[in-house]
Amino acid sequence: MALDIKINFDEDNNYWLVKPIGEVDIYTSPELKDKISQAVGDKKADIVIDGKELEYLDSTGLGTLIGILKMIKDNNHKIYIRNLRANIRKLFDITELDKVFVIEE
Amino acid sequence: MKSDVFKLTIPSKPDYISVARLTSSCISSKLGLSIDEIEDIKVCLSEACTNALERTDEINITFEVTKDQLIITVDDVLLPENDDEKMEEIHFGILIMKSLMDEVNFSEKGVEMIKYLEDGLHEKEKEL
Repeated sequence: MALDIKINFDEDNNYWLVKPIGEVDIYTSPELKDKISQAVGDKKADIVIDGKELEYLDSTGLGTLIGILKMIKDNNHKIYIRNLRANIRKLFDITELDKVFVIEE
Repeated sequence: MKSDVFKLTIPSKPDYISVARLTSSCISSKLGLSIDEIEDIKVCLSEACTNALERTDEINITFEVTKDQLIITVDDVLLPENDDEKMEEIHFGILIMKSLMDEVNFSEKGVEMIKYLEDGLHEKEKEL
């Protein structure tokens, strides 16, 4: 298993909850992009990424998230990211994408 | 002390970059680096491989272990020439490499990334 992605719409809070399980790299990021694109294509809403079981992410994953944000930002929707491991959190600081996404501590 | 050298060549396919990543993790762990340092090295090596991917049929990686350094070289890694938006990920990759490694040197051949080793290696040496 390289990456498993669970996506559900949270009716109570009106957002897409995305749980990537495993590794997001150049091989698996297209799948992440396709699945989330499909979801927001069906229904535009905020996206919450739960990073609890995200083991690895690199620039290709960051690029994917930016691409997804571009799809929803015209409707003033945001991407919230929570439960990130410290070594992944650090990548958002380095690239200053902590200012682009809402990182919840 | 003569340095120890590992050489790895992988086909230029996205699905094999994880193999290079695992190899870097294995070598770093053997050198007694911390979990955080191992994660940093994994990301940096992946960034270098991702950068080289479309430029070559096979990606050549060398891990050189000296008394106080782990030197990882990846051929065909280039600094992007312009600020094209398509290059955003490549720019992020380079920023990540420069931030997480102790030294990053680009040349015509590719990139050399250095992680300084502390006590971990010395203890391993004593065992040997």
